[in-house]
Amino acid sequence: MEIRPFTDEPIQVLAYDGSPVQNIDSLGLSKDDLLKMYRWLVFVRAVDDRGYILVRQGRAGFYAQIAGQEASQVGSALPLLKDDWMYGDHRSQGSMIVKGLSAAQWFGHVLGRMLDPTQGRLMPHGPGSRELHIVPPSSTVGNQITEAVGTAMAQRIKKRKEITITYFGDGATSEGDFHVGLNFAAVYNSPCIFFCQNNQYAISVRLQEQTHTRTIAEKAKAYGMDGFLVDGNDTLAVYAVTKHCADKARSGNGPSLIEAYTYRYGPHSSADDDTRYRPKGELEMWRTQRDPVMRFRKFLERQKLWDEEREQKLQAEIKAELVTAMEEAEKSALPDPMTVLDYAYEKLTPQLERQRKELAAELGVS
Amino acid sequence: MATAEVTKQKTQFTMVQALRSALMDEMERDQDVVLLGEDIGPRGGVFLITEGLIDKFGKDRVIDTPLAEAGIIGAAVGMSCYGLKPVAEIQFIDFIFPGFDLLVSEAAKMRYRSAGQFSCPMVIRSPYGGGVRGGGYHSQSPEAYFVATPGLKVVAPSNPYDAKGLLIASIRDPDPVVFMEPKKIYRAVKSEVPEGSYEVPLGKAAIAREGKHASIITFGAMVHLALEAAEAMKKEGVELEVLDLRTLQPYDSEAIMQTVAKTGHVIALQEAPGIGGFAGEIAAFIAENAIEYLEGPIVRVAGWDTPFPYALEKAYMPNVERVRRAVKKAINF
Repeated sequence: MEIRPFTDEPIQVLAYDGSPVQNIDSLGLSKDDLLKMYRWLVFVRAVDDRGYILVRQGRAGFYAQIAGQEASQVGSALPLLKDDWMYGDHRSQGSMIVKGLSAAQWFGHVLGRMLDPTQGRLMPHGPGSRELHIVPPSSTVGNQITEAVGTAMAQRIKKRKEITITYFGDGATSEGDFHVGLNFAAVYNSPCIFFCQNNQYAISVRLQEQTHTRTIAEKAKAYGMDGFLVDGNDTLAVYAVTKHCADKARSGNGPSLIEAYTYRYGPHSSADDDTRYRPKGELEMWRTQRDPVMRFRKFLERQKLWDEEREQKLQAEIKAELVTAMEEAEKSALPDPMTVLDYAYEKLTPQLERQRKELAAELGVS
Repeated sequence: MATAEVTKQKTQFTMVQALRSALMDEMERDQDVVLLGEDIGPRGGVFLITEGLIDKFGKDRVIDTPLAEAGIIGAAVGMSCYGLKPVAEIQFIDFIFPGFDLLVSEAAKMRYRSAGQFSCPMVIRSPYGGGVRGGGYHSQSPEAYFVATPGLKVVAPSNPYDAKGLLIASIRDPDPVVFMEPKKIYRAVKSEVPEGSYEVPLGKAAIAREGKHASIITFGAMVHLALEAAEAMKKEGVELEVLDLRTLQPYDSEAIMQTVAKTGHVIALQEAPGIGGFAGEIAAFIAENAIEYLEGPIVRVAGWDTPFPYALEKAYMPNVERVRRAVKKAINF
């Protein structure tokens, strides 16, 4: 399949009804790969559904759902190799899980337990993991973009065959860091993929009020970089385009911008009321006609790889897996209050040593 | 101080030469040390600190960047998370603000927010301070923002010997360091600087002048004003001690306690506007922890609470007369 930058319409592999519009064989995916891909879609959706319940139960303070964006996240994370680096944003847990973060770690993160790789330091929108080369995101929109470029520059300086991918939303493309980051990456020919999940809303502001270009992908032209517009609800298309950009970066041919055109089903976060800004019927249209998980299922069914029986079996299997994961997270201890001073610096400064004594007195421990 | 191991020749160096020598030594010692910044390549930096380094180490390790401070600091964050030891130059510290977010939200918090999984062992070098007719955007001393950001260390040398040893210590430090270079004395002060590597440890102050009547606690270029004031007031029978903090975060609270115990009178001196400034932190620390030694009010000497001016620079910056009046106020309580 030929993958061209700057197309007028999003690149698709599957039509909305799941029928292929490209030659699937050229993707080099086995039947087993396709089934695994589907499992990831179902899995990250189930994790997210389960995670969001924790907020409604009052057991977590914040949640940004990925629902609707599973194809973008799964399809873009699958082409990555173990040593590749990932900089997420506040809505990229699907990609993090595909890269290796466990459901139990994610639930531990949402609950702020010791199982959380950040040990309860970061609000639940992405815990990161050194082992998995996932850098935990802050909440300042867009600044992970320049950091990802720094890591990609370092990979090139060290002559490693690794790449770095960074995720951000449509709103982040208005931030200076987006422009600075793309410019740096292009100038240094860094092995970096800029993956924009254009879910059409930055909280409430629609893309038309966010930018005056028709697409985000075309912004890449300004930096002498290829920009790809892809159907973000088409897992195979996202996979194919990301794989193309990853191969290109890995072989020393520089960075790319990918715009995955998608839609979020949930509010911006658990603190948002999306009924205030969505036009009537829009969410329903995306849910019923363009759902990424359903589209892939229909595709598998057309390929005679899937049926209702297998679906039920998979759903039951994942449900059981998540019960275990949640139990593991709940069993995990809350962080010890005495650790609140740790990790500001490698060692406590003399000032923090004094504060440690005050804290111990406050907590009544020695 | 790790001077014992230094047996090589000592040379009279300016601060510019001392800093260049530190970068040279560390780049030779550790392949992971890379420099990045605007005009630091063939131009050698606008103050020539990096002169000649690109010829020696190549453009993969001496990286001329596009003109974007957020990119420089952001790239340094990403490089340091990966395992390099970037030393970034911000051309003037007044220009750091487009990259402020990357410094205070990212570099400073990376270790904490990842519970120690990732860290940013990086140095941001940048000339700061007035007295060079640089106007409002080539003269500021914004240390207070950085000191008020846990996760960052803040260093400001006052002489070439310390500049080299502190820069080497900063590059080897596991935490991000804002290294503020007093540009007014880049070339105005010379001191003996050994060839070869040595560290001046972070967090340790130095007595720049012994005295018994009052202590001036300061750092960077203001150390020289303090010394000038001390010399002037000696004729009036007042012997001033000058404590050069060298590191502002973490600062040397023991050295502060000692000088306060010795003289009982404190003047906290800085170039930046007084309000919300580092001198206030010194004053608060002493008031909380050393009140029993105090025999008078702690007096701050600072720039006025205005933006930094151009033609009115002399009226703005702390001077001997301002220090003298502060000393009198502290002593004649």
